[in-house]
Amino acid sequence: MDRLRVLCFAGMYGLALVAELARVVVRAHNRPLATPILTAVGWVVQAAYLARLAWVQQKLPVTTLFESMLVLSWILAGIALYLMLRSPKNAAVGLFALPIALGLLIYAGLDSSTRGSGWSDWRGRVAFWGTVHGVFLLAGAVSTCLAFVAGLMYLAQLNRLKRKQSPARGISLPSLEQSERLNRGAIMFAFPLLTLGLFIGVILALASRGDGGVRLALNDPKVLSGAVMWLVFAALLNARFRPSMRGRRVVVLTMVAFAFLVFAWVGVDLLRLPTGHGGPRVSARGPQDAGRTP
Amino acid sequence: MKLLALGVDHRTAAAPLREALAFEGARLDAGLDALAHTFPGYEFVILSTCNRVEIYAAGDNDGDVDLGSDDLASFLATFHAIPPESLAGRLVGYHDEGAVDHLFSVAASLESLVLGEGQILGQVKQAYEAAQARRTVGPILHAAFQQALRVGKRIREETGMDQGRVSVASVAVDLAREVFDTFDDKTVLVIGAGKMGDLTLQHLKTLNPGRIMVANRGAERAEAAASRWGGTVLPWDRLYQGLIDADLVVSTTASEEPIVTLEQYRRVQRARRNRLALILDIAIPRDFDPRVGELEQVALYNVDDLRAQAESNRARRQKGIDPARAIIERETAACLALLRHRKHAGSVLRQLGDRADAIRVRELDALFATQTELSTEQRQAIEHMSRRLQNQLLHHPRAALRTAAEAAEREHPHTLLNAVRHLFGLAES
Repeated sequence: MDRLRVLCFAGMYGLALVAELARVVVRAHNRPLATPILTAVGWVVQAAYLARLAWVQQKLPVTTLFESMLVLSWILAGIALYLMLRSPKNAAVGLFALPIALGLLIYAGLDSSTRGSGWSDWRGRVAFWGTVHGVFLLAGAVSTCLAFVAGLMYLAQLNRLKRKQSPARGISLPSLEQSERLNRGAIMFAFPLLTLGLFIGVILALASRGDGGVRLALNDPKVLSGAVMWLVFAALLNARFRPSMRGRRVVVLTMVAFAFLVFAWVGVDLLRLPTGHGGPRVSARGPQDAGRTP
Repeated sequence: MKLLALGVDHRTAAAPLREALAFEGARLDAGLDALAHTFPGYEFVILSTCNRVEIYAAGDNDGDVDLGSDDLASFLATFHAIPPESLAGRLVGYHDEGAVDHLFSVAASLESLVLGEGQILGQVKQAYEAAQARRTVGPILHAAFQQALRVGKRIREETGMDQGRVSVASVAVDLAREVFDTFDDKTVLVIGAGKMGDLTLQHLKTLNPGRIMVANRGAERAEAAASRWGGTVLPWDRLYQGLIDADLVVSTTASEEPIVTLEQYRRVQRARRNRLALILDIAIPRDFDPRVGELEQVALYNVDDLRAQAESNRARRQKGIDPARAIIERETAACLALLRHRKHAGSVLRQLGDRADAIRVRELDALFATQTELSTEQRQAIEHMSRRLQNQLLHHPRAALRTAAEAAEREHPHTLLNAVRHLFGLAES
């Protein structure tokens, strides 16, 4: 039933994406409204679903990978909707943001392993700090996705300008300055959130070792990819103060950070890599045993 | 019903004649008043822009004068005190369907000097509003102009005819918007005070940049250009500093050699912490080393690039002509159908009212003839009651007829009109 509901609002985002793609070829009377309206409908339905989930469970829906992906896609779709409505040029923001929201929903809806126990079985302080850890990483992931989307828009616009293509042709894109500012702002937000999230995660893992909790090794793929992602973000933050690193190089680094995020969130599970992250079990081997929180 | 459009445009009359025929400011109001006075019973709108002067007239064929193109031509000559011979062969007239089609084409900018330009739609709206203010617009021109404004907007949205600019100088504005988001915090540097730079700056000024600097070898011309555009003069020997401060550079010098080399601009970019820069090098020979465009965060366009963009936009607008014509054809037919239906409905409504009035008066006369003892107050009360009764009985048929006339495109109102005629025994008009 959950899968059906998820695919229901994923369908709305899918239609919104189709409407956005149609802008390249079709010029209809109410064209600029189709994508925001469809996205808004999907977003409201998803908000209602998440609210119901929180009400039934009596806690924030961020305790499993399934829930986290749903919340992440919901926030991303909301930000995309805001940018679509704010854009003075009717820029095709949806073309870059909606595929990510859609991808998250499809993965969450189709892969039943994302519904693992996570830390939903935990109690007391561990459960509280587990939730804080998850919320920070989720917010960091939102910022990373946003930085990635802004980076893609920047590259597309830069490519068009360098090739001397007419702005009147093809899709409308945000200005280079706007994409660069969005990318920079998202990176600035992402770094402290990820730092705090990872820090709490490490403390949590150390604290719960004694009572049969999470056993995380330094070479755990989730730990490794998380650490590398954090390093890339540190480099990105540093790049902000280095003039030579502005523009395309920052965008490329953002993409690397995003790749590590995707790997940490879904790659480890997709590749069935052994990880002890996210669940109360001592030794997690494969997706059925391990909780799959990020 | 009669519709007429008569006037001159950039194709039929040279600028001096268009100037002589122009209705500007108070002349527009005076012209509308004079038309209404000379041709009572007709509706008028005057569209007067720098590229066209046109009078739109409409009437129901029941005015005191049978208005024709010659009458309007004589009016123009008399009003502007110009010899009628000077208008010979210059005026172009359109009648009925042709007049509506022409109005829609004008609103859609298909008749404009620059195809797809956006100004004309606002000018059509202003002309309509001016006529409304002088009360020279009636139901026919009201419907036609309202529809024209909708058609103009629709064609721009659906065909993309207003997308992209078509002159080399104005393309700069589109490019600036692709690079920058805000302009009140940006500095524009114009190198060279030539005609092309002036023209480009004229367009860039619409973006309201925070600061404009003009650098030229000759200080006098730089000062003239700077004062014209509200900028400051940058001494030629401080050009390097100007490049560091500027976000948008327009270069138009007549220098034989590039004035900015790759190495020089690389240093500039380093000094400006690699901020985004847009350089429009419209000088021939070029002022900037073309390799500057390969630097990070720099977009460099030369005059050929700008011309290519303008050409590409022009070609795109040309492609929109056929779809725009198809829309105009459909909308013209719909507009004329609406006007015809309104006219028929109006005729039936009048007949209905007249017939009801005749019956009511006849019956009242018969009643008062037999009831001679009724006082004047009693007679007035009965007459008042009969009028109210008549109005209440006819309220719904009248409303239904009006609705049917408005919905002419979807439903054929003749069915309802015929039914009302049949039910109330009205004659065919």
